[in-house]
Amino acid sequence: MATAVQQQPYGGGGGYVARSSSSGLYDVLELILDKGLVIDVFVRVSLIGIEILTIDARIVIASVDTYLRFAEAVNRLDLMGTETQGLPELMEGITEGGASSKTKGVLQGAKEALFGDDDEDEDDKEDEDEGSGTTRRRSSSSTTTKTKRRRRSEASGSGSGSSRGRSSRS
Amino acid sequence: MPRYVYGVVRGDGSAPAVEGIAGAPLELIAAGDVAALTSVAPGEHLEAGREDLLTHSRVLEAALEQGTVLPMRFGVVVPDEGALRERLLDQHRDQLTAELDQMEGKVEITIKGLYEEDAILREIVAGDPLIARLRAQTASKPEAAGYYGRLELGERVAAAFTALAERDSAAVVEALSPHATAVAVGAQVHERMAVNASFLVERARLAEFDRAVEEVGRRQAGRIRLRYTGPLPPHSFVELGVAA
Repeated sequence: MATAVQQQPYGGGGGYVARSSSSGLYDVLELILDKGLVIDVFVRVSLIGIEILTIDARIVIASVDTYLRFAEAVNRLDLMGTETQGLPELMEGITEGGASSKTKGVLQGAKEALFGDDDEDEDDKEDEDEGSGTTRRRSSSSTTTKTKRRRRSEASGSGSGSSRGRSSRS
Repeated sequence: MPRYVYGVVRGDGSAPAVEGIAGAPLELIAAGDVAALTSVAPGEHLEAGREDLLTHSRVLEAALEQGTVLPMRFGVVVPDEGALRERLLDQHRDQLTAELDQMEGKVEITIKGLYEEDAILREIVAGDPLIARLRAQTASKPEAAGYYGRLELGERVAAAFTALAERDSAAVVEALSPHATAVAVGAQVHERMAVNASFLVERARLAEFDRAVEEVGRRQAGRIRLRYTGPLPPHSFVELGVAA
């Protein structure tokens, strides 16, 4: 993360955007489980080993635990000279080890709660690899079970839930 | 024989040369202009794991390489070919044909963005005097005494993230929509997600769209890390009337 501003090309194409053409499961999980055509009769598949939570986009129920961890993350920031420093200088001020690895750990738990199996978190693997090299912490203790989000699941394949908007097709 | 259905393609197409779920070969079942891409399912009730999700996804991408495909949601199993024809192909032929026409030459690209957490936390603290004050107040207090202060601080920070994501998501969508045919904005799945949107893009305009994405990535360097997935079959843009 300390190198975020001087971002090096991810490979091909010159730049600032991570590409996955051969899609990891994380990238397409939401799409194949939630979108696409569905006919009403014949969904007879149960998913094993993958915990799918539903999330209500309007009501995010974050646990007390999450708030406390946010507070912890904010308190650990080194804000000396914030007003006078530019972003690159701020980035250099971030310690490689302790603080950033802990703040990263904070929110990974939420994603794990959503996606369960951490093999699917290729995105996180990339994030971690790019940064200070800290390994992603599995918050097996509190965050995974206590952070609850609920999303209204799509009743039909038509994607009519209000958590998604569409602009007109031409 | 129960069949797993991956998607709908043109009736004169051919099955991609990849394996289906449980290693079963892919078979096209055609009904005039439209065809279902299927494979024989291990049973009517399928217990699916991670591999099967990946297979579903890969079959569809292989089909996309060959032509237009309307993806099914994961997990659609029909009891037999007759039901497939009756409930899907024959019943919805007109709609499916129209949809194939609409999706011709177009692909889906998903753009997800994750916040660089420390940078955004600094932004949030700098932008909100109350948060800055709470931070100062709680930083020095021991665990128990500062509990409620930290709770309030954390709650405000979480809310600030959400508000920021709304603004950033709208900005990214606004920057990219001119280069796309349609856009579907997804939910903010967790706090660190800045944007989660799918774009339907004509292949002929893909280079233009890609340049716009790079530009957004460059502008947001240090704040948001963008992730680009695609070209994908148009999962987010297909629909079907509810079957009777």
